[in-house]
Amino acid sequence: MDAIEVVDVWKKFRIYHDRVYSLKERFIFPYRQKAEDFWALKGVSLSVPRGATVGLIGRNGSGKSTLLKIISRILYPNRGRVRVHGRVSTLLELGAGFHPDFTGRENIYLNASILGLTRREINGRLEKIIDFAELGDFIDNPVRNYSSGMYMRLGFAVAVHVDPDILLIDEVLAVGDLPFQEKCLKKIREFKERGTTIVFVTHAPKQVAELCDHALWLDRGEVRLQGPAAEVARAYADFVGGAG
Amino acid sequence: MWQQIAEIYLYREMLRNLVARELRARYKGSVLGFLWTFFNPLFMLVVYSAVFSHVMRVQVENYAMFLFVALLPWNYLAQSVQQAAASLVQNAGLVKKIYFPRAVLPLSVVLANLFNYLFGLGILIPALLAFKIRLTPALLAFPAVLFVQTLLVAALALLVAVGNVYFRDLEHIVGIALMAWFFLTPVLYPLEAIPAEVRGYFLLNPMTPIVDAYRALFFYGAWPDWGQLWRTGLGGLAALLLALAGFTRWQRAVAEEI
Repeated sequence: MDAIEVVDVWKKFRIYHDRVYSLKERFIFPYRQKAEDFWALKGVSLSVPRGATVGLIGRNGSGKSTLLKIISRILYPNRGRVRVHGRVSTLLELGAGFHPDFTGRENIYLNASILGLTRREINGRLEKIIDFAELGDFIDNPVRNYSSGMYMRLGFAVAVHVDPDILLIDEVLAVGDLPFQEKCLKKIREFKERGTTIVFVTHAPKQVAELCDHALWLDRGEVRLQGPAAEVARAYADFVGGAG
Repeated sequence: MWQQIAEIYLYREMLRNLVARELRARYKGSVLGFLWTFFNPLFMLVVYSAVFSHVMRVQVENYAMFLFVALLPWNYLAQSVQQAAASLVQNAGLVKKIYFPRAVLPLSVVLANLFNYLFGLGILIPALLAFKIRLTPALLAFPAVLFVQTLLVAALALLVAVGNVYFRDLEHIVGIALMAWFFLTPVLYPLEAIPAEVRGYFLLNPMTPIVDAYRALFFYGAWPDWGQLWRTGLGGLAALLLALAGFTRWQRAVAEEI
C-alpha cells in the first residue's frame, strides 16, 4: 500500500495587489480588492510506496514546498485528492513554538507536544532527545541564552524523535556545524533503514542522488520528470547547468 | 467536525502546554511572579470597595462584593474573547509551518483564562467572608454555571479567532462590542433595575442568566434559576457545535491568509 497518494492536485494562490484586510474597507470599497490567481501546482500526481525515500527537486517557485505543505495538511488543495497513511512529522521549521524564557527541557515538552506527542511519549524520549542535542548543562538554561546553532540542534533533536511513519523534510539540513550536519544525515539514513517513508525537498541534485530512491522534478507547478532518483538528478543537473 | 474534536483530544498535551505557557510566561521574570495572578483581582477589589463605599455611594448593600462576584466571570469572558481574536494571527509562525488542529490555539486561551478565574476565587471567597456574606450549599452549583459559561466562551473564541484571520480589524470591533455588551449585562446593576417592559430583551442576552446565577450563588447564597441555566446551557452547546463546524470549514485557508 502507498504511504502517500497525491492525485491530480491543483493549488491556487491569490496574489493581491491591494490587500483589503479590514471589514471596514471591504464595506466601504466592496470592489476595490484586485487579485490575480497564481497556480502553484497544476495537476501533480505522486504516489510514494511505504518505506521509500522520494526527492522533490526543482527551482525556486516550482511548487515543491507547496506540495510538501499540502501533504502535511498545512495547506489544502483546490482540486485533487491527498491521502496519507501513518503519522506524519514535518521538518519545515525547527524549534517551533520555543519560548525564549523557558529552559531547553521545558521547550522539549512544548515543541514535542506541538508535533503531536503525548506526555508519556515525550517522557520516554526525553533522555534520547537531550543526548542527541548535545547541549550538556545548557539543557536547563533558558533558550534565550542559546546560540542559533544550539537552538537548531535542540529543534532537530525533538523533530527526529517524533518517530514518524512519514517524514517530510524541507531543506533544513543546512543547520548546525559540519559534524552536526553529518549526524543529521546519519539520522535520516537510519530512518530509511527502519522503513520510514521520507519525502525530501531540495534543489541539490547531489543530495537526491545520494539519499533518494525516486525523484520528482517540478517545474512551474508541473511534473517535468519522474523516475529513479539518479536519472532525474542527472537530467536536472544537466538542465540547470545548461540554463546557467 | 467529529474528527476535529477527536483530533483536538489527540493534541491535548499541546493544549496543556500552551495553557501552562500562557499562565507562566505572563509573569515570568517579574519579582512577585505567579502571585500576580492573585494580586490583580485583589487590587481590583480594593479599588472598587474604596470607591463605592466612600466616593460613590450606591443603594445596594455591600456593592463592592455585588460587583466583584459578577466582574470576575465577566473578565473571564472578555479576556478570553479578546485574546482569542489575536491567537491565530499571533501564532502565524506556527500555523504556517506545522500541522496541528488550529482550534487548539483559541481553546488554550480560553482555558488559561478559566484558570485565572479559578485563581481569582482564592481572593473572592476570603473577601466574601470578610464582608460577612454567608456562604451556603448553593456554592455547589458553581461548576454547572462555570460549565455553561465555558461553552459560550469557547464558541465565541473559536469564531473571532478564525474571523480575525480574514478581517484584521475584527480584533478592534470585538473590543468595542465587548464594552457595549458589558453595559447591557447586569454586572454593574441588578437585573431588577431594568424596567419590566424591556427585561425580556435583556434575557435574550446569554450572559444575563449566567451573571445572575453567579450572583445568586455567591452573593445571595441562593440556588440559581435552573430552568434558565438549562436553556442557556443547551444554547451554549448548540453555539459551540456550530462554531466548531464553522471553524473547521474556515480554518482550511488560514495558513495562506495569515
